[in-house]
Amino acid sequence: MFDKVLIANRGEIAMRIVRACRELGIKTVAVHSTADDDALHVRFADEAVCIGPPPSADSYLNIPNIISAAEITGADAIHPGYGFLAENAEFASVVGRCGLTFIGPKPEVMQLWGDKVRAREAARRFGLPLLPGSDTLQNAEHAQQEARRVGLPVMIKASGGGGGRGMRVVRELKDVGRQFESATAEAMNAFKNPEVFLERFVERPRHIEFQVLADSHGQVWTLGERECSLQRRNQKLVEEAPSPAMTEKLRVKMSNVIRDAVRETGYTSLGTLEFLMDDDGSLYFMEMNTRVQVEHPVTEVVTGVDLVVEQLKAAAGEKLELPDTRPWKFRGHAIECRVMAEDPERFAPWPGKITEYHPPGGAGVRVDSGVFGGFTVPSNYDSLLAKVIVSGANRDQAINRMKRALREFIVGGIRTNIPFHLRLLEDEEVVSGTMTTRTVERILDARQAG
Amino acid sequence: MDLSVDQLKELLDALDEGGAAEFEYEDESVRLRVTMARGAPIVSAAPSAQIASVLAPAPAASPPAEAVDDPDSAYITSPFVGTFYRAPSPGAEPFTKEGAQVKSGQTLCIVEAMKLMNEIEADFPCTIVEVLLENGTSVEFGQKLFKVKKA
Repeated sequence: MFDKVLIANRGEIAMRIVRACRELGIKTVAVHSTADDDALHVRFADEAVCIGPPPSADSYLNIPNIISAAEITGADAIHPGYGFLAENAEFASVVGRCGLTFIGPKPEVMQLWGDKVRAREAARRFGLPLLPGSDTLQNAEHAQQEARRVGLPVMIKASGGGGGRGMRVVRELKDVGRQFESATAEAMNAFKNPEVFLERFVERPRHIEFQVLADSHGQVWTLGERECSLQRRNQKLVEEAPSPAMTEKLRVKMSNVIRDAVRETGYTSLGTLEFLMDDDGSLYFMEMNTRVQVEHPVTEVVTGVDLVVEQLKAAAGEKLELPDTRPWKFRGHAIECRVMAEDPERFAPWPGKITEYHPPGGAGVRVDSGVFGGFTVPSNYDSLLAKVIVSGANRDQAINRMKRALREFIVGGIRTNIPFHLRLLEDEEVVSGTMTTRTVERILDARQAG
Repeated sequence: MDLSVDQLKELLDALDEGGAAEFEYEDESVRLRVTMARGAPIVSAAPSAQIASVLAPAPAASPPAEAVDDPDSAYITSPFVGTFYRAPSPGAEPFTKEGAQVKSGQTLCIVEAMKLMNEIEADFPCTIVEVLLENGTSVEFGQKLFKVKKA
């Protein structure tokens, strides 16, 4: 087992890693920017090293300073958390070359699953379902042909870039030709590359993801799914496990396919495979995140597995001892709400000093926080303050408990999105478990109009 | 570990002879850290709360004095994480010392990180008032290295 782990991250996940290390008897080194001199994890870690000024590029993304900090403190492993350098294969490689262990998959495997094209190829090879799509469209006739083959509605997309440019949704066959021309022109303009392709467009997708854990002894566990459909601008707000849209049959089928894909590509550590679910219940593979995820606690709650502890053990080369997760058994239902430092109406970030802080407690409530009373939330990083995770015997109970817990959460001095979470938990689609990734948008549009 | 002053002297001699740079010892009652440097070894010992009254307090390393608010006073701080070295190589003359007049762009020290010797230069002409750290000390970003007086 490692003697000392350096945590190359901040906020709630850094504290999460400190906790897991503590339980394993591992010493911790917190690295931080000057904006985080007083941060929670800096205070609780055994040692702390300041690695730069507030901007991420000069601190949390500063590879030389992070490696030096490991060197001067004698750390033998680095945990990258999520975001920052967590999915940076170059960083993982540098860490290895410096004689330290990177807590995550091998750089080559990270690169494979991190590359959208290669990941899709791997997915296809192992039978993971993919959104039907085409290769580069040669002309309007070809586009029409492909649209018919793939099945409407389709999205025409630019190969050269994203950001919504060179993208056209086509719902009727007669519009394909015209939209092909339009998308091609826009793509040329935006990326100097006129190439476009098309893929099936899912109108109201649900976001379903599967958690995997693998050690270096060839053992792979799939720990079920999470649903993360409640998002605003592609940022998740609320997550839950299990997904109300999942069936036992589909879960088992997906778990088997995923297990093979993960094992055969030599994947180790934690990982999450993200899918879109169509309104007919079909799943389509989107991408794999080769790290621990923000919403990992909901899986921990319903499976009883401490994912970060197991990740550390796996990284240290231990043979994990977890029960066989086939056939599947979840314990109750878990929901997580991300409490952000933002205005609940306009979602403007709201950094500043937290004056009073009283997190919720009681039966079935867990809070993973990166802040405390008196801490000044910096403006340089994402606005996640804390995650409230509740468990209940069933989904209704969990929703009820989350509302109760959020009402106890006092954060003074700054604004948070807690009122918006309470609004979400009252929404019909959320209550009935029929939400999609369009739900939040619908609520906000209605609020705007009303 | 119960150390008398004589035993402490013996320990320090042994460390010096053996060429140790640093020594750290920890048990339930005390945590002792010795850093060998050019001049006198710096010893800091932190007795645990329970036996603080029994153990005689050991000499602690004095932290750098807080600067008086003087517009001409400034600190040169480290922009890197690494190890602070006062000279270009072991045994060589230090780049600078207290009282020295320094030109803009002049090298003051090295902060070594991952085997790379980063030279730290003065941004403005000044006089070195105090060298704040011992040779071979680990430094973090923003750590004060020199107190200077602007020329």
